[in-house]
Amino acid sequence: MTPPPAHWLERDELGHLLALIRGDGYRLIGPTVDGAAIIYDEIEGVDELPVGWTDEQAPGRYRLRRRDDDAIFGFAVGPHSWKQRLFPAREPLVQIRRDGDDIRFSAARADPPPTAFIGVRACELAAIELQDRVFVRGPFVDHRYAARREACLIIAVNCVEAGELCFCASMGTGPRVGPGYDLCLTELDGGFVVEAETEAGAALVQRLDARAAADAELTARDAGLDSCRQTMGRELDTEGLPGLLFGNLDHPRWTEVAERCLACGNCTQVCPTCFCFDVKDVSLLANAETARERSWDSCFGQDHSTIHGAVFRPAIADRYRQWLTHKFASWTSQFDASGCVGCGRCIAWCPVGIDVTEELSAIRSQDPKPAIELPRPQVWWPREDDPLVPAPARVLEVQPETPDTVTLVIERTTAVREEPGQFNMLSLPAIGDVPISVSGSGEDFVEHTLRGVGRATKALSELRPGQRLGVRGPFGSRWPIELAKDHPLTLIAGGVGLTPLRSAMQQLAANPDDYPAVRLFYGARSAADILYDTELLAWDSLPSCDVSVTVDQASRRWLGNIGFVTRLLRRKELPLDGRYFICGPEVMMRQVLFLLDEAGVPKSHRFVSIERNMKCAAGFCGRCQYGPYFVCKDGPIFRHDHIDFIFGQPGF
Amino acid sequence: MASCDGCQLTLLDCEDELLALGEAVDIVHFPEASSALRPQGRFDLTLVEGSISTPEQLEEIRHIRAVSHALVVIGACATSGGVQALRNFADHEQFMRVVYATPSYVSSLADSTPISAHVPVDFELRGCPIDKAQLLEVITASVVGRKPGIPNEAVCMECKRRGVVCVMVARGQTCLGPVTHAGCGALCPAYDRGCYGCFGPRESANTGSLATWELGRGRSKADMVRAFRLITGAAPAFEHESKRHEP
Repeated sequence: MTPPPAHWLERDELGHLLALIRGDGYRLIGPTVDGAAIIYDEIEGVDELPVGWTDEQAPGRYRLRRRDDDAIFGFAVGPHSWKQRLFPAREPLVQIRRDGDDIRFSAARADPPPTAFIGVRACELAAIELQDRVFVRGPFVDHRYAARREACLIIAVNCVEAGELCFCASMGTGPRVGPGYDLCLTELDGGFVVEAETEAGAALVQRLDARAAADAELTARDAGLDSCRQTMGRELDTEGLPGLLFGNLDHPRWTEVAERCLACGNCTQVCPTCFCFDVKDVSLLANAETARERSWDSCFGQDHSTIHGAVFRPAIADRYRQWLTHKFASWTSQFDASGCVGCGRCIAWCPVGIDVTEELSAIRSQDPKPAIELPRPQVWWPREDDPLVPAPARVLEVQPETPDTVTLVIERTTAVREEPGQFNMLSLPAIGDVPISVSGSGEDFVEHTLRGVGRATKALSELRPGQRLGVRGPFGSRWPIELAKDHPLTLIAGGVGLTPLRSAMQQLAANPDDYPAVRLFYGARSAADILYDTELLAWDSLPSCDVSVTVDQASRRWLGNIGFVTRLLRRKELPLDGRYFICGPEVMMRQVLFLLDEAGVPKSHRFVSIERNMKCAAGFCGRCQYGPYFVCKDGPIFRHDHIDFIFGQPGF
Repeated sequence: MASCDGCQLTLLDCEDELLALGEAVDIVHFPEASSALRPQGRFDLTLVEGSISTPEQLEEIRHIRAVSHALVVIGACATSGGVQALRNFADHEQFMRVVYATPSYVSSLADSTPISAHVPVDFELRGCPIDKAQLLEVITASVVGRKPGIPNEAVCMECKRRGVVCVMVARGQTCLGPVTHAGCGALCPAYDRGCYGCFGPRESANTGSLATWELGRGRSKADMVRAFRLITGAAPAFEHESKRHEP
């Protein structure tokens, strides 16, 4: 490929370039001095750029300083990043209006004005490309992000000086600006080498008073880039880093760094690639209008990993490890690239100066355990529908199952048929939405069995026939029923863990020729908590199915099995060629897997359903991360050997 | 209870929302707003401001708890003991002798303590004073039946969402933001001033690391005592940290 022709732009012509862009209807966002730092803000012209300013950076320290010259882009990256413009810190996703029993959901559309980003560095353009992978490359598209991305013109700048905390050369993202820009400037004495990559960029150059760049100018550009590359303030050995980190989840360095880490989340907020967000319903008192809003979140916060009051990452060490293993390891499995671009922001803006390059090299050098192999990224087929906007659905029937559990039969809102094991997000205005597995479905209805434990599930369980709720989905992976053909199949359920297995059981029972030997072992807290009792009896009466139920606590009238489901399993044969579907509390699943280990059943024959904190269900919000996976799109059903290196590991 | 009444006034500050509030709930007892008091009966939601500072307050809060379905305590005094809890670090008797001509007329407890030290509370809304939007969120959550959308995160999160430049890193100031519960919207850092912790410690407040960093860049132990011992100085995490730096 021949490089695009380079031009030379006199220094004084930069103002002309910015004026042309503004004249074309773009607002300009660029670097500007604001009090104590160079930030990105709306500018009108060259005067507002940080002419003659630079920055001094060290771990936990940033100071502005006057330069000896009047360089315009003579500084490294500051506290802001372009993420603020493409993925704002707070924005509405869905507008909800309640009118009696009627509910309307409409997508909050971003209507972004054409915006030119002035001074995008190589690391930053790489970061934008990484966030594209999260928000537009599947399986779903975040339409708000995509609209803003479409509306932006990128004027990039090659770095000819490296900052004290820069390590883009190690991460392979700079200092030369990679693909994805419209125009790229390299600031040299007296002017800029200008390269256009897009037609929009080339058209701008055409309208400027720019001549073809001389060889000497191109040589100077390359020399500047070389010297920048060689004077990076930090470096990082990235060789085999993902496997190394996941092979060292119990490395003592995690607890050492946790003594210093404030868990404040600053590193994640200044990081140009971090994308986690929370979703909340914002409404006032009993008003009919609700805005479902997202706001930046951080894996350093407690809420990030909390479900049903249980915190999956209680310790600071858990949270720091989550951030570092995600950034430098899980990203590779999730998005086929490291999540770090080497900009150094997390080092400068950590209030206590924790340096990721130092932490990573400590893990590598201090007696590491062998690396492990991580899963390869999946290829997703993009889906056009907006996954975040629910469809209103009517409640057709409410079937009480146990004193605290009901089955909601709701009208079908999508032509996509739910597969056993998948889930929907059910929502109520002003309360929020929660993932609930599909427990059954038909031509024109879907069933969800839920226990009213939290406030949202309680409100859902109090719905009456005729009332409406919001539904979006189906999401997630399914029980691989077809793999069980011609093999004995054992389903093991604990508590409400029976609900995602119920629709699998219905299919299995209906196809005895394919599935002639199905066993269901089900443990409930007490006889009163047994779900689907008539169905259980009906399945048990079929020649192809065998159902065993046990209860943890029994009254005198209970004549069946007593004890945990594992106790029941101990008395049963566990065939080696069998397939096993397991769903229940994690502690129960651990015990079951342990029994299967003892019996010698291969891990590839076992499938488990994992639950984590889910907000968006579409792979955007990052809260349901489980090591290298997203439970919402890679799960909730996982093959055991795919997750055995994190299953049961505290902090994941 | 013992307080400046400022947090109660936050309810009256909800000027634009007062009418909607009046429609959504029936306010039966609110001395700052109306002299038509009705302290008898049972209440769906009770907001209590102030710390427990006298024997009478101790009796009263037990009664309030008994007649309230949900008890929400509001403000730094009610959630940490407040600025008056500075007396917890000193000799209470001596204070009374210095301040009052006839200390025997004064009946007060040796410590100023949060409500949760005496009765179970359903929600603690932090701040000195509390934030109006957060108060409305707690009331709304109670009305519609959702979990209050009040994250227990660091002030830094609000600071960064606003795009404020960190005063610790760029200005070298001491700031309690990283260890302080969010809710103020990063008010002080937005005015180039470090957070002084009036919303009290957040969960996982690593005060030890913050103090070590500040000592390492030239602050004194006395500076650390002053930083952590202010409006919410009696909150356990801050109390523990300030005591570590006492002479």
